Amino acid sequence: MSAQEMEMVAPAATREAGRGAGTGILSVQGIGKRFGGLVALNDVSLEVERGSVTGVIGPNGSGKSTLFNIIAGTLRPDRGRVFLNGRDTTRASPAEICRGGVGRTFQISRLFGEMTVLENLVAIAHGASDPEAVERALELLDFLEVAHLRDKWGSELSYGQRKLVEIARALMLRPTVMLLDEPFAGINPRLQNRIVDHLEVLRRRGLTLFFIDHEMRIVLEICHTVHVLAQGEVIASGPADAVRTDPKVKEAYF
Amino acid sequence: MPVLELLIAGILLGGLYALMACGLNLVFGVMRVINFAHGDLIAVGALTTVSIVAGYNLPFAVAIVVVPLLAAAIGLAMQVLVIRRIADGPMIMSLLATFALSTIIVNVSILIWGGGYRGLPGVLGGSFRFLGQDIALSRMVSFLVAMAATLGVWWFLQNTRFGRAIRSVSQAPELATINGISIDAVRNVTFALGAAMAGLAGVLLAPTFASDPQLGARFGIKCFAVIIVGGMGSYPGAMLAALLLGVIEVFSGYVMGQVIGSAILFLIMLTVLLVRPRGLLGLGVRA
Amino acid sequence: MKATLVMGTACILAAVLPFVGSEYVLSFTVQLYVFVALAYSWNLIGGYAGYTHFGQVAFFGVGAYTGALMMDAGFHWLVAAAAAGLSGALLALPLGGAMLRVKGPFFAIGMFGMARVCESFALGFDNITQGGTGIYLLPVSDLKPLYFTLAAIALGLVLLTWRLDNSRLGLQLLAIREDETAADALGVRTTRLKIGAFVVSAIAPGAVGSLYATYLSFIDPMTAFAPMTELTTIAMVLLGGMGTVFGPLIGVLAMSVVNELLWSRFPEIYLAIVGVVILFVVLWMPRGIVSFLAHRQWSWVPVARGSLRRLASRPRIAARPKEAH
Repeated sequence: MSAQEMEMVAPAATREAGRGAGTGILSVQGIGKRFGGLVALNDVSLEVERGSVTGVIGPNGSGKSTLFNIIAGTLRPDRGRVFLNGRDTTRASPAEICRGGVGRTFQISRLFGEMTVLENLVAIAHGASDPEAVERALELLDFLEVAHLRDKWGSELSYGQRKLVEIARALMLRPTVMLLDEPFAGINPRLQNRIVDHLEVLRRRGLTLFFIDHEMRIVLEICHTVHVLAQGEVIASGPADAVRTDPKVKEAYF
Repeated sequence: MPVLELLIAGILLGGLYALMACGLNLVFGVMRVINFAHGDLIAVGALTTVSIVAGYNLPFAVAIVVVPLLAAAIGLAMQVLVIRRIADGPMIMSLLATFALSTIIVNVSILIWGGGYRGLPGVLGGSFRFLGQDIALSRMVSFLVAMAATLGVWWFLQNTRFGRAIRSVSQAPELATINGISIDAVRNVTFALGAAMAGLAGVLLAPTFASDPQLGARFGIKCFAVIIVGGMGSYPGAMLAALLLGVIEVFSGYVMGQVIGSAILFLIMLTVLLVRPRGLLGLGVRA
Repeated sequence: MKATLVMGTACILAAVLPFVGSEYVLSFTVQLYVFVALAYSWNLIGGYAGYTHFGQVAFFGVGAYTGALMMDAGFHWLVAAAAAGLSGALLALPLGGAMLRVKGPFFAIGMFGMARVCESFALGFDNITQGGTGIYLLPVSDLKPLYFTLAAIALGLVLLTWRLDNSRLGLQLLAIREDETAADALGVRTTRLKIGAFVVSAIAPGAVGSLYATYLSFIDPMTAFAPMTELTTIAMVLLGGMGTVFGPLIGVLAMSVVNELLWSRFPEIYLAIVGVVILFVVLWMPRGIVSFLAHRQWSWVPVARGSLRRLASRPRIAARPKEAH
């Protein structure tokens, strides 16, 4: 790994803030959320350790998308708190959370269609000159092996290419945490493995990865910690192997 | 201040606004398209009424039947030829398209009717006493017909299979079919219905207000104010807001004069946009 | 390179014109500059940031009245134009703050209404504005300085747009147009960007409104808030290509010819035809002429947003050691 690649993610220590609640880089505490009479989340708590890969799985309607959106700031919880990088971000806007060192991807691709791939990346850079931003964008496209897509329009890309470019775009801001919204849904296993390899490299460089998905295979394969959500509650947490054999999980999920 | 007189005048005016704005809101709910030509359909309705009644000496009742059908036909043509093809594209395209349609209708109207004001003197003339007030017969008839039509459409939305299909689409526009009714049919009927309501509103304002081809912009803005205050896509919200804004307009016109009075609805609309963009009963703005 | 050459020739032509052109040519070019300024201003908020703006004529009209009233009070027309530009910005700031908080349709409605309200104020407050009679001004003896001022504003806006198009700021505005929610979630400061773009887009219409009043030595509500101005501007930008550098220019040239042929003779038909042009473009060529050509990739069409691609194509200094962050 060259020096240049090393700095793709900021050293974790420089971003660390002191007054964190909870032990992890991401700490979700007692989150509850209702939509009308429907309980989407009921008292969900979980911790994501710095530098770990943590996944939340659950069947459709289990509340995992709601949880993701609350963490990313697009939904407000009715109760409970969220801490990211030691900061209380429960009431923060998505933009503030993002500028606080959190990158994200979207479940349904939200690339800017009438802009090229390169422009998609450069547009969201800040705190860097244009040449620096371009340089960094090219590095990231190289890293994710999509450099050949540089001048394609966002709307021209295939489904899988969009996923890769979205990950590259999220990395533009040198995040310490990446929130991935169903990164493996609907793509072929070969591409799934490619994304897994890239994420693994990023994790080794100190990036914390948090994602939701229902691709059981991948989640159990790459996660250190898995949380299983069912009907708005965490029914199991722990290492992948322990979760796999948990009878409650089997009942809810299989 | 003659409170009762102003209150009655405001409610009578609000009834007309309800008919206009509910048509516009219905279309927005189902299509997510703001029809900038809605006001111009009102103008076409009013001018056609003047032609039918003053030009051809036919009874006013004929206009009440014929003009909404004409407006529905124009609306359907707009929908099939233009709106349908871009409704699902970027919002900017449908806004530009209906804005262009508005211009075309206004200027074709000027070619047909000329640019001047036309009235219908003597139609539904006279007045009667109600609660100790003299009320013009034309205003009362307009109000009653407008409210009957507005409530009738509401009943249709609540109690018929097609009406329920319209409501389902406006709650979830991404649906493909409802109970075997295709989304295209729902959209076409909705657009025609909205246009017919605009046409009828035109008929009803012809005896009271002077009509000209530019009337659409004046009443169009009021429709926008009503649906924003009432809530975009909310039918009862628009009815409520129409009556409210009718009363506010009449009172503020009395207190602050015609110029400020005409701008006051717009200022209220701005305030609502700032404080509560969802309006009184609205869906809110979907991303 | 080609673009520079074309621009250079155009500039020389514009500089020589007032000394050789006839009265008619001059009045045509004055119209042209007014519309270039309006079209490029509209392009900032409507083309780049993607907010449909149906009320630009409000700033034009308010500027015209601000300028006319100042000239009436004895100020030089240049001072009046500067004040009119400022009035546009001052009006746009609170309006933008209020109306850009919500999405497309609200903004369109709000600005549409704003223009009509401004017009009714100009008519209604007749103790200040002389109402429908209008304000008559002392004619300017030499029109050349006025002509050059308008030319400078037009050129300035083209250059500004060119700079913007080749910068990250332009990309961020485009990102707002493409997907504002996503742009915001990715940390783009969407609110201040779009309000900024809106305020900047109101300055030139204000100033140009005042200069136009100077040129006519007259202003009334019909002229100041004419729907024709609004529609023609939008049609120009749309036809040429929204959110591009040269689109508005091409649109202005194309529409000016239509304008010249039809507006003075058949105003009703003219506006209906502008409506048809807008419909045509929306239905069959929504990206406008310039993007239509760009997608054909003909070599003589200048590539949009070229500077980033040039940066990207530069030979890269591999594994260059960098300072720590």
